[in-house]
Parts: sequence; structure tokens; C-alpha cells
Amino acid sequence: MLKMIVCMKQVPMVTELPWDAKTGTLKRELSEGMMNPACKHALEAALRLKHEHKGHITAITMGPPMAEEILREAIAMGVDRCLMLSDKKMAGADTLVTSYTLARAIEIFCADFDLILCGCHTSDSETAQVGPQLAEELDIPGIAYVEDVQINSRIITIKRLSDNFLETLEMDMPGLITLTTRNYAPRYTPIAGLQDAFDEPNILVVSADDLGLDEAFIGISGSPTMILDVYSPTAQKKNIVMQGTPKKIVEELLERFDDRIGSVIRKDLKVEK
Amino acid sequence: MCSARLIMPELNRQYHEGVKIEVDFNPCMKHKLVRKTVREFAEAELGPIAHEIDAEARFPLEVIEKMRPLNFFGLQVPRRFGGADIDSISYAITIEEISRVSGAVGLCVTVHNSVGVFPILKFATEEQKQRFIPKLASGEHIGAFCLTEANAGSDASGVETHAVLDGNGYIINGTKIFVTNGGICSIPLIFAIADPGKPSASASVFIVEKHMPGFSVGEIEDLCGMRANPVSSLFLEDCRVPEENLLGKVGDGMKIGFAALDTGRIGIGAQAVGIAQAAFEASVKYSRERQQFSKPISSFQSVQNILADMATQIDASRLLVYRVCALKDSGKPFSKEASMAKLFCSSAASMITGQAVQIHGGYGYSKEYDVERYFRDAKVTEIYEGTSEIQRMVISRNVLAEPM
Repeated sequence: MLKMIVCMKQVPMVTELPWDAKTGTLKRELSEGMMNPACKHALEAALRLKHEHKGHITAITMGPPMAEEILREAIAMGVDRCLMLSDKKMAGADTLVTSYTLARAIEIFCADFDLILCGCHTSDSETAQVGPQLAEELDIPGIAYVEDVQINSRIITIKRLSDNFLETLEMDMPGLITLTTRNYAPRYTPIAGLQDAFDEPNILVVSADDLGLDEAFIGISGSPTMILDVYSPTAQKKNIVMQGTPKKIVEELLERFDDRIGSVIRKDLKVEK
Repeated sequence: MCSARLIMPELNRQYHEGVKIEVDFNPCMKHKLVRKTVREFAEAELGPIAHEIDAEARFPLEVIEKMRPLNFFGLQVPRRFGGADIDSISYAITIEEISRVSGAVGLCVTVHNSVGVFPILKFATEEQKQRFIPKLASGEHIGAFCLTEANAGSDASGVETHAVLDGNGYIINGTKIFVTNGGICSIPLIFAIADPGKPSASASVFIVEKHMPGFSVGEIEDLCGMRANPVSSLFLEDCRVPEENLLGKVGDGMKIGFAALDTGRIGIGAQAVGIAQAAFEASVKYSRERQQFSKPISSFQSVQNILADMATQIDASRLLVYRVCALKDSGKPFSKEASMAKLFCSSAASMITGQAVQIHGGYGYSKEYDVERYFRDAKVTEIYEGTSEIQRMVISRNVLAEPM
């Protein structure tokens, strides 16, 4: 049995990001939460591997009590077990301390894992650090920005785009990968799954004490990162003028942006072609 | 937009026991997640085609195909028949969110689940349930409820379709009109009378199957709104229906019909809320963008007043729907409350969608914008599943029967 762990984070819903214009920060208390998109793609990859290799998936999140919602969603989509690291002492953790906390929880509750899947970055902070740091903490091999993952016996084979080259890499188990949002468009959640997710209280909530963690090494007090400024990335808009007959323009448009259009409309346009 | 944060009154156990009322206006995590899940699906799958399927009067079978494995056709069907078995508030939220994007598809789903499937769940024998429910719950079969005729609508006792006992079955003759899902239904419930001398006392409901000789589907109606739903006539010409397809007993028709309609009204209320919500969101967006006299029109008090009224009406509508859902799930009678919710939500939706057209001005009257579709779709919520006049009749009857 392939034992997988999917790490996920609840992020503010993209459609309703309430920014505080004065401070330039996010008013998190006003926003609805959702599963970070890249984490959802990682979950989808895990669900497909589970189907293929008769696997078992544990979903883990660290966050405030409201983050339970994404674990319920994960159950509805098909994960087998959930672990929630929730403790006021863990609040304010930077990426280093988050990886440290996750690693200790994994060592205690699911030490016999084969593969950890993470989203490559989160939509609310974009650091892309937690996945690779978690691999370091657990002292296992890790590959970031994965677009395709296959498993044969105990070998993990992945594909990723790196500087416009498609790399194929192999890694021994246990290992960690972080997934991009280019492939593995997440499945829709069945309504029956949602009902099940709330019928069974199968989420294990873990505190800092449960993990035997010293307050000095977790949360804001353990975090060495200092945030100097938070700002929105400035969009670099460029107009592209396409010329020719409408048919030719549409074909060219699809040719150039098939992956982006495909991810929005949830269709693999490469296959359809 | 705002609806994800709006509210679910969850009446606690004590209320069910009649001790006191305690209402929690915060949506529970499950209901929030149901809303997000259905909204995500509806916006991704129906959003891009909602305008087109209305313009072409095309039923989007390709989306229905995707809805089947997600349990949209067995929302409140027990697990043993393959349904999702969700609570009524989750049901209402589901209908609301589909209708927010496409009223016509919301109509298909609510009619199938409420008046199409519910009567079989409630009144059928175990053998009938085993035969029909699993395929309805999976969406392989689409249901419909056929009461309306040329001379019978609000007055169900005017039904002329009649069933004559013939050996171990019934021969049914008659024509049903304005059947929602008519063009795609495979297991319609047909309302017929067994004794023309005693129409009410002999009214009965038959589970007709599409393949039965003598059953045929008429032309799809050319309607003002809900154009993507294949509303049609159904013809029964010497249609032989075996005895084992009779739902309940001969004479149970009125009882089954009223129970079905009570449930159906919850869905139509929720549908009206969804359409109104869409019109409201479009109006807020447009009024912020549209500049007149060098200002966005949302800065004018006359527009602000309309938006305030819209928001208030939608909020009240939603609360009425969730209240009747909570009542239904607690096992209490909910006929009056269902009629109240349906009456209020449908007239609010009609008003709100009209105001949305007004806010959009000339653009609102154009087919390029969605608000004229909302306007056309909303109107019929005041007509089907019992007209507003019939709802008032049901409500007043209940009110007058209550002790002073």
C-alpha cells in the first residue's frame, strides 16, 4: 500500500480578498477561506495515485480552527485520515517553523509514509518554501515544481518544467514533491462526500503539547523571519495583437495559451487537440 | 459574493421539542462548504454556457452528464438507493447556487429531486422504490411531475386525464401540458382520475415509463424564460400502465400531490433566491462601474435605495427558505411555511430582477447582458408550483384554522 501525506493550507478566497488599503495587508478575518489551489492539485495527484496503487492518504494542515473546513473538503474528495495542527502557540509561524512543526507531527503520527505531496506555493504568501524545507527537516529527498508523477515499485518518477526544459527525474521513496497547478485539475467534490465528511468526526486535532514541542521553537517566538513589507505584485501588462482570419486567431490563441485556458475551464486542451 | 456569508438558522433540539426557540444565524461549516462546492461547479461548468443555452433553448446534456456522479440527482435520497442524503438546508443551498448561474438547470434539478423523486420515496412500496429510485438518484432517469392540463392547473380537481382499470393494469388517456423536464424525463409521475364523477376522491398518481406504448412527448414549449429547460406536453393515448406502477392507492392523488408540492415549493423558493442573488450581484457590479454625470451611478441615492431594498428582500427570502427547511427536517408540518417562502421569494425575485434591469438601463434590456434573462426566468417562479394566488390561499387557510 502506498502511504501518502498531503500537506495543505487554508488561504483567503481569491475572489474576495479584502485588502487594507492603508497598511497593504490582508484583512484575514473578513475573508472566506478555501483550500490553497496548488494544495488542491497536490491532493488530486495523490487521489489519482491512490486509485492506481491502492494507496492511503493522510491530509495535514496547520492553522486556526476554521481551517478544519479544508480537511472536511479533503475527506469529501477522498482522503482517508486527517491531522490538524492547531494551537495558539503555533500562530505566527514563518515557513521555517511551519516546516519544523509539520515534520515533528509527521514523525509522530505518520512516520511510515512513502510520499509527501505539497502545493508548490500558496496563493496568500507565495514563498514556495515550506515543501522543500519540510524535506530537509525530515532528511528525505525532495523535488519542487512537479507537473507529473508516476510510481514504479519504490521509484518515484516525476516531470517538471525547468527553464523551459522538461526534466524527468527519479527519486527513491520516501520522498517529497511539490506540485504546480498546470496538471492534475482537481475533481469536483460529490455532494454525498460532503455529507460523509461531516457525519464522521475523523479529524485528529493536535496541540503543541501533544507534539512535545517547546514554545521557544514554534509559532511567532520561534520564527526568525522578519517581514519588512507586503505588497501586491505589479502586473506587467503587454498587449499582443493577433492578426489574420478569426479562425486563425482563435487557433493561435489556443495554441499559445492552451494550458492557462484549460486550467480555467477545467479541460485538458492538449488532449482535445 | 455575500451569500457565502449569509446565514443558516439552525434551530436547536429544544425548539423541536417545543420548549423554546434558539436560532443560530451563523452558517455551519458544512453549509458553507456545500455552497462553495456547488458554486465552484456551477460557475465553472454552467457559467460559460448559461447565456448560450438560454438563447438557443438548449438543454445542456453535457453538463447534466457531469452532475450525475456528483449526486445532484439524488440530493435527499437515502444512501441505500445511491443518494447523497443531505439535509434540507444543504438542498436549498444547492438549488440556490445552481439557479444563481442558470435558473433553467436549477429548475431541472429541483423539479427532479422534489416533485419527481420525493413522492416515490414517500409513498411508494419498497418494491417500487427498489425499481425506480436508484436510477433516478443516479440521474440515469430524469423525473417529472405532471398535473397541469389545458383545463386544470390551480384547480387540481379539474384534471381530465383518466385511468380505467383493465385487468391487472390501467389504460390512461389524456394530455399533460407545461411539464418541466418534459422533453428529457423518463419516469414522469402522471396525475389522473379514475372516476370522472368523483375527480378529487378518485385522483391517483401513476409512475409512467417512457418506453410504455401510448406514451409520447410533444413539442418543446417556446417560453418567455427558463428556456434551457425542455418544458413540453406529454401525451397518453391508450397508454397501458401495470398495476404495480400505481403510486399509493386509487384516490391518494390529492394527498400525494399536496405533499409533493409542499416540498417542491421549498426548491422554487431557493431557486428564486438564487436568481435574485445573481441579479443583485450584477447590479452592484454594474452600478460601481457605470459612470454618469462623471460619477459611478452607485453614488446616487436613488440607486443606493434600490440596492438596499434588493439586499433586504434577498436576506428575508433566504431566511424564509432556511426556516422551512429546518422545520421539514425536524419532522414538523411545513405546508404554510413552504407557501410563505415560495410566495415571498418569487415575488421578491420578480421585483429584484426588474430593478436590476432598471439599474442597467438600456443595457439591461439588451440580450447582451444577463439581467434580462434573470428577469424572464424570475417571473415564472410566481406561476409554477402553485401561483402566488394559490400560495395565499394555502397560507390564509392555515392562518384561519389556527386558534386565536
